[in-house]
Amino acid sequence: MKWLAASALIVATGAAVTTPAWSGPEAIPGVANPARAKQNWMLSCQGCHRADATGTPQTTPTMAGFVAKFLHVPGGREYLVQVPGVATAALSDADLAEVVNWSLVRFDAANVPADFKPYTAAEVARLRLKPLRTEAMTIRAGMVARFAPEPKQQK
Amino acid sequence: MSGLDKFSEKMTRRVARATSRRSLLTLIGGALTGAAVIPVLPVSRAQAQGHGHGGDPVAPQTTGNPQDPGDQTQCDYWRYCAIDGFLCSCCGGTASSCPPGTEMSPITWIGTCLNPADNRSYIVSYNDCCGKSSCGRCLCNRNERDRPMVRPQANNDINWCLGTSSAIYNCSTAVILGVALEQQ
Repeated sequence: MKWLAASALIVATGAAVTTPAWSGPEAIPGVANPARAKQNWMLSCQGCHRADATGTPQTTPTMAGFVAKFLHVPGGREYLVQVPGVATAALSDADLAEVVNWSLVRFDAANVPADFKPYTAAEVARLRLKPLRTEAMTIRAGMVARFAPEPKQQK
Repeated sequence: MSGLDKFSEKMTRRVARATSRRSLLTLIGGALTGAAVIPVLPVSRAQAQGHGHGGDPVAPQTTGNPQDPGDQTQCDYWRYCAIDGFLCSCCGGTASSCPPGTEMSPITWIGTCLNPADNRSYIVSYNDCCGKSSCGRCLCNRNERDRPMVRPQANNDINWCLGTSSAIYNCSTAVILGVALEQQ
């Protein structure tokens, strides 16, 4: 039984170490290590999307208060991983799933659907095999056009 | 004619009688030594001092903080581990701010550099300064973890003057964003 206690201790220690890094009231679903997710955001995303995910009109569309809306339209969940910057990021499948889950809650918690299931490494691995290329802009425009009647505000 | 011959012979003989060959050597030697001394004069030394990078006469800039060692006008300063461009420290700005009259690009490429003082990696953002023509001083090109052009988000050969009112590149800064996590 000693090994069981030891492993429980390790798990507890891990939780104690990772929890304080997230300042919110509860852990983000699908994010094992928020500090690691934030660092991967800084190293792989922030350069173009900026620290607050507001982007730049000429080059990078805003994510803040906007990105989780894609989860409400058909194909949006897939789009968020297949978009070139995500699909081709120099991150492992697990790290990529984690940083996507983290950024959805960090930058657009209000629009994350209540029944949202976090991305898994397996799902990300499958989706990123087919990255979007130049058609990404067109596909995005089509989805954004469907945002218009906001389901959240209709209620 | 003979008068001129006599005159020149008389003068030559007088000079030969009055001077020795040794004094001529002394004169020539003095001139040679004098010419050799000219580059040793302090004025000349100041001009020739290149301060390390291609002859750009820039005074050293250190923070004085033992946690941040090195000279920010030198390419081997620790934060410049992935920089490619002219150092803003030599262009009227600093390692983390732009020279007057330029605008810092909000779009950057971000990497990590190892600080020799505490042996920890720091997250560094290479913000370009834009809006004036190339500074041209202290060119520095180091490419730790630089990726080829097919990965543009991690390539430092790109002009990162994006999102600014002008796309004209002036110089590059290295801004610390935070401490990187320990390798897991």
